[in-house]
Amino acid sequence: MIGFILADLRRLWAGSLVFVLLVALATALGVAVTLQERALRLGSARAADKFDLVIGAPGSETQLVLSSIFLQPSPLPLMEGTVLARLLADPRVASAAPVGFGDSFGGYAVVGTSTGLVGELEQLAEGRVFATLGEAVAGAAVDLALGYAVKPTHGLAELGGHAHTELAYRIVGRLKPTGTAWDRAILVPMQAVWALHGMAAAEHDDADGHDDHPHDETASGAGGDHPHIDADAALDEDWSKATPGLPAILVKPKSIADAYKLRQDYRSNTTLAVFPGEVLTNLYATLGDAKRVLVGVTTGAQVLVAAAILLVTILHVGQRRRQIGALRAFGAPRTAVFVIVWSELFALIAAGVLSGFALGFGAAKFIAGYLSGESGVAMPVMFAAGDGFLVFAILAFAGCLAMLPAVLAYRQSPAAALRA
Amino acid sequence: MLGLQLAGIDVSFPGLAAPALAIDSLSVTAGSRVALTGASGSGKSTLISILTGLERAGQGRILWDGVDICALSEGARDRWRGANIGLVLQDFHLFPGLSALENVLLPARLSGAMTRDVGARAEHLLQRVGLARSTQMIETMSRGEMQRVAIARALLRKPGVVIADEPTASLDSDAGDAVGDLLLELSTESGCTLIVATHELALSRRMDRRIRLAAGRIVEDGVIEERAA
Ligand SMILES: Nc1ncnc2c1ncn2[C@@H]1O[C@H](COP(=O)(O)OP(=O)(O)OP(=O)(O)O)[C@@H](O)[C@H]1O
Ligand SMILES: [Mg+2]
Repeated sequence: MIGFILADLRRLWAGSLVFVLLVALATALGVAVTLQERALRLGSARAADKFDLVIGAPGSETQLVLSSIFLQPSPLPLMEGTVLARLLADPRVASAAPVGFGDSFGGYAVVGTSTGLVGELEQLAEGRVFATLGEAVAGAAVDLALGYAVKPTHGLAELGGHAHTELAYRIVGRLKPTGTAWDRAILVPMQAVWALHGMAAAEHDDADGHDDHPHDETASGAGGDHPHIDADAALDEDWSKATPGLPAILVKPKSIADAYKLRQDYRSNTTLAVFPGEVLTNLYATLGDAKRVLVGVTTGAQVLVAAAILLVTILHVGQRRRQIGALRAFGAPRTAVFVIVWSELFALIAAGVLSGFALGFGAAKFIAGYLSGESGVAMPVMFAAGDGFLVFAILAFAGCLAMLPAVLAYRQSPAAALRA
Repeated sequence: MLGLQLAGIDVSFPGLAAPALAIDSLSVTAGSRVALTGASGSGKSTLISILTGLERAGQGRILWDGVDICALSEGARDRWRGANIGLVLQDFHLFPGLSALENVLLPARLSGAMTRDVGARAEHLLQRVGLARSTQMIETMSRGEMQRVAIARALLRKPGVVIADEPTASLDSDAGDAVGDLLLELSTESGCTLIVATHELALSRRMDRRIRLAAGRIVEDGVIEERAA
């Protein structure tokens, strides 16, 4: 029987191939959408996981998270710098670090922060943490060598931001991959960001004369009206002094209870405190409708394919009435006819479904790889336990679908063999 | 070797005024060789599909050695047909993509009647009908060779009766003669009843008995004298 089925499929190989391809594409569509959506959700949740509590100025919670966790370039309102000092003094806070955005370099975000946060993000793969105003630590996905001089642009270069000419950061260290958007960031001292934007506390005088960075010379020359910033000035991370405004502070509370208390305390007229994970969950709830539409469209396509398959198969069985009749005329039992038609169809659908899963997985991997490259957020494309059930359900459905032509063949009169 | 007893057969198709087949009684002794003749549309194929249980007769009884196949269920008739009837049709109904041997064995395989003996017999039958290359793909064979494969298939399970519907009609006269020879020889060798519907006088003359149908009725039934002489 298997020999007969194989011979039959081999004979109709072109049609069978198209058939399998059709099923595979329909399946792949659904699989890719599901996997990609899951990867996006898991990836961003994991990226947000590293950050417990974010405090910023009152405004949009979503924007605060998008800017501070995903380093999406858009201006945030500033809060008073004293908030940081207050947080650092709070016994419920394990650590708190300022973050300042707005600058970029060649598509990488230049983020101002403290040495403490660099240490908390991940270990260094090479080099060391910045120790002076003019030093920087690159994220794992930043394709710049140690020693490279980074001249930040205000805003995004492609959006017409102007270059900061008064300071160039020298990359002195590189982080291990974190799987977050921070992999594509260049971390610099917060104080340098303040200085570049004319917000520095007055203590950094233009004292030091010698300058061993030639590019700095030209930079200072070009941006004549800006005050010169001394790249070699040692960092002073005593945040309790009056500090300029801050867009966001990343806080690590000592316990979960502390986290909730802190969030409550810092939701006020002057500050906003959010759990990034919670904000993401709300965001996904909002996007749920979009997902439903996508799933609906995919399902529609799959139903169409299923209907087309059924139509083609029924026509095919009709065309082969004489052959099917002949099988029985020569003594094959009708159950054999049923099994042949059913298993031929089921084998084709199953082959399509399984290759569709592989195809969809590949497509999702490809898309996720592309998106990760763009954003730095690692997107885990993977099957969940429920997917096994899904495969089973689809195959069960395919089995039922294949029953219809099989029953038609089963019920067909064998006398057809005698009629031309 | 099976004998046939037919009684009160009446087959009508919707839309036809007269019955396609109306036979009060007919008996065929086991081991005899019967030609079914008659003009096109006279009911030969209809009679064959009734005799083989491919179609149900509206009325009447069809007894093969006492077994009324009208009383059998669909599945039981399939089984009975597989075990007792060897069928040869005008259009061969061989399956492309399979070799000659695989075609001969296909019905036996599908009905689970495959044994080593059956396999050996298939090889032997192919030799007997003059086909040395049993692994040749069926679609590469000539029509005459195809019909010989079909004859080997019909005889594989040692049926009690071989029934052929226009076995030579789609062959040229040489190939047709060879097929006619084989049908007669092999049915004699294996001792089975032979019923052949044919237009060809040469073939029908070589049989023991000729039944002529017209408009679904038997209009002539006689032993062929020439042969007896
Ligand atoms: N399924 C059917 N529905 C309606 N009419 C049918 C059907 N099968 C056969 N007939 C009619 O029954 C009559 C006998 O047909 P049958 O095929 O038995 O003739 P035949 O003697 O085999 O002819 P031929 O020599 O051309 O093969 C014809 O008039 C045919 O049209
Ligand atoms: Mg006919």
